[in-house]
Amino acid sequence: MQPHKLDISLNLCGCKPHLRLITMNHYVVRKFGWAFLTVAFVVVLNFFLFRILPGDPARAVKDPRLTQQSIEAIQRRFGLDKPLYVQFLLYVRNLAQGDMGSSFHQQRPVATILAESLGNTLLLIGAGTLFSILIGMALGILAAWKSQSVIDYSVLIGSLVAWAAPTFWFGIILLFWGSSQLGLPIGGKLTVGATYAGWWGHWLDIGRHMFLPTLTYTIIYAGQYTLFMRSAVLEIFSEDYILTAKAKGLRSMQILRDHALRNAMLPTVTVVALNLGFTVAGAIEIETVFSWPGLGQAIVNAVDRQDYPVLQGAFLLLAVSVICANLLADLLYSYLDPRVRIG
Amino acid sequence: MKSNWQRWFVILFVFLLLACGAPATTPDGAQPSSAESSGPITLRVGWPGSPDTLNPGTGILAEAYTVYEMVYDTLFKLQFDGTFTLGVADSYEVSEDGKTWTFKIHPGITFHDGQPMTAKDVAFSLNLYKAHEDFPYLNFYTVYFESIEAPDESTVVLTLTEAIPSLESQLLALYILPEHIWSQHAEGNAAAEFENLAMIGTGPFKLKEYQQNEFVHLVANPDHFANPPTIDELIFQTFGNEDALVQALVTGQVDMITEMPSTAVPVLKRTENVNVVSGAPLGPSVRDIIFNQLALENCPPEGGKCTGHPALLDRNVRLALAHATDKQNIIDVAMLGLAQPGLTLVASGQAYWYNDTLQDYAFDIAKANQILDDVGYKDTDGDGIREMPDGSRPLTFRLQWPNDIPEAPRIAEILGQSWGQIGVKTEPQAADPDALTTACCPAFDFDIMIWGWSWGPDPNDPLGVMRTDQIPSGSSETGYANPEFDALYDQQAVELDREKRRDIVMQMQEIVFNDVVYIIPYYQDTVQAYRTDRFTGWIIDAPTLMLESVNVLTQVEPVQ
Repeated sequence: MQPHKLDISLNLCGCKPHLRLITMNHYVVRKFGWAFLTVAFVVVLNFFLFRILPGDPARAVKDPRLTQQSIEAIQRRFGLDKPLYVQFLLYVRNLAQGDMGSSFHQQRPVATILAESLGNTLLLIGAGTLFSILIGMALGILAAWKSQSVIDYSVLIGSLVAWAAPTFWFGIILLFWGSSQLGLPIGGKLTVGATYAGWWGHWLDIGRHMFLPTLTYTIIYAGQYTLFMRSAVLEIFSEDYILTAKAKGLRSMQILRDHALRNAMLPTVTVVALNLGFTVAGAIEIETVFSWPGLGQAIVNAVDRQDYPVLQGAFLLLAVSVICANLLADLLYSYLDPRVRIG
Repeated sequence: MKSNWQRWFVILFVFLLLACGAPATTPDGAQPSSAESSGPITLRVGWPGSPDTLNPGTGILAEAYTVYEMVYDTLFKLQFDGTFTLGVADSYEVSEDGKTWTFKIHPGITFHDGQPMTAKDVAFSLNLYKAHEDFPYLNFYTVYFESIEAPDESTVVLTLTEAIPSLESQLLALYILPEHIWSQHAEGNAAAEFENLAMIGTGPFKLKEYQQNEFVHLVANPDHFANPPTIDELIFQTFGNEDALVQALVTGQVDMITEMPSTAVPVLKRTENVNVVSGAPLGPSVRDIIFNQLALENCPPEGGKCTGHPALLDRNVRLALAHATDKQNIIDVAMLGLAQPGLTLVASGQAYWYNDTLQDYAFDIAKANQILDDVGYKDTDGDGIREMPDGSRPLTFRLQWPNDIPEAPRIAEILGQSWGQIGVKTEPQAADPDALTTACCPAFDFDIMIWGWSWGPDPNDPLGVMRTDQIPSGSSETGYANPEFDALYDQQAVELDREKRRDIVMQMQEIVFNDVVYIIPYYQDTVQAYRTDRFTGWIIDAPTLMLESVNVLTQVEPVQ
């Protein structure tokens, strides 16, 4: 088949297959090593960062009714009466055993709180990311392909507006429109107290609640992906080998599919992967507008209440997801672009 | 090959269309309406918060207490006019010396799990609160408790260390817990760490399901001995932002909302089938302008910085500032009219204890200027700002506020303008609430602050923060010291005759008003809204307003 031939011709590395394997392993080991070090650094930083904040979690409110004994009793319960280094050692020891501690204000293990809210966040950004990638890439390719046409300009302007619009504002607009025009629910994940005919009724209800936040997410991120994809494809189109392909007499659809797309994916993959890491927290605004019970909401609440254990756990989770997303981008990149492996 | 590629594109497109369109085109069947003839009658309340815990011992947020009120009973209950009625007790007797209170418990009350509730549970609960210093609020209410005993199934004997006038208000939040459940969690840290997810009580509503920061789902307890609800289910749903909360009411997704941004009020008032109500909150909310008037000899040895402007020690200066404060303008501009002008820290919502005979200082710039002229604060260098009588420093005051009060910048702006007209300059600054606490008390490292308080029904708390002995503890924000006032405070704290105590409380308000300890720009109104096409029977004309209180929610009925 044709693609095989092309693969060989594009093997710029020129290495023998087994050599490529070794360099690939080194590359992966090095990347994992850095990722591990970064996580360790975050673990330490996380502990001290929140304790620099002014105030005292035991004094949750300015209230004359809180007696000094009460405040001290609460500090003892939270373990805040111990010297800082003891608190730190306990934190590291527990973390090594997989125990992220208990929330100060929710009387639940941090792991439970994070798992619940992370599940909801992943559902929302999972759907949003999927739709935004599909739409973004399709529109980006379309715009580049029909470059300088009415289609191109419309897509370009639309994407710029979507990307530049403040998430919060855009969400509110969709919230008003969706609730009054489409009768969609605007708060939470489920209709509380509803009884469903079956599992599909349950998921249909979740879908109705997810629709507006997912739409907000999709539009905002699709705008960004469209712009990246469009410029990447345009850049590839100006390469000499595309000219060669054209000279060979290939049809434009063939050129796009067999020569341009894979290379044009590179920058977009980077952006998508980086976004994936950040959007675990980046959905904060969308979750706040639509009262979606995700990680962003959990973080906002924990900051309000100086809930150190939840903040530590949440930021560790965020750091790990950003690092993992970066790692994923690196590995995907090396798969998509062999030059990276030997760099 | 080409056709394959295109086919995928078409499939993808169809898939996207389906995925986006499907939910929007679903019929409205999945959205239950509360006034349905079939199925339970469900009332939905939208609010911006959520309980912090279901464990009454460690609850801090107001939303938590709202839910406790639904699920638990107490010995006394607070009514909208500030009076108390009996809860689980049928009667009580007080001994001659006022130290021993004997309650007769209503027979036949059962917990939600079917177990009987007796005097033993009452005594157990009160003893639990007394034993746990790590219960921040409920432990506080037991400070005067010597012992609590249940000699038999229907009698509770509460002995106090000294006779206090406001025992009823101390018992309002001491919820009756089931001993058969809590006795396993009573010792050490276990009590404060208990999640209490089953939340078994005796109250008019039972907990069905709870998701923190999402919803509280309650169902009626039709067997409640006093207030069986008329509705079947009650749902509190949390909204992450107030615009969504308002929109949820407009579109009928909730039947009532507990609060809203001031800007939404005009819109909601025009909305069909929605009624907006305002009134004094059950827990008064006071905005105060705090003068640092700490005398240097009272500077707290521990942590005191005491950098206040010396002019604020002079009552004449404070009085002039009071005359130069346009409270109505502040209310109209900063609060969009949703507040009442204030007098002292004791708020109008504390109805019985509020001294409304005091005549407020009129907004009168000329008079304010006259006062300052008369006592020698003159603008000697002609820069438009007055100097101290000895010429040592200008009347330039730091004016700070916590950045979690959205209207504070407008208040500061209005103050800056009108005070500028009497030759007083302000240096406005917003700060993090924690940073402000550090500057405030007991450091007294400030001149003037805009802040606020929320109180219970008893006047003890608002009067207590102005005592001299609260200066080192950090509860006093002003540094006010007046032995006469302190003596009256001690006197009212043990005065058992309600009328006589009221006289003292009135006198104390007069003293601090005359001394201009604070300027109270306003008492904040509670503003709530409900749908008129769903439920009737909302209590909206009582002296105080709280639609989400158990008194209201047990009596509302669906619209026929």
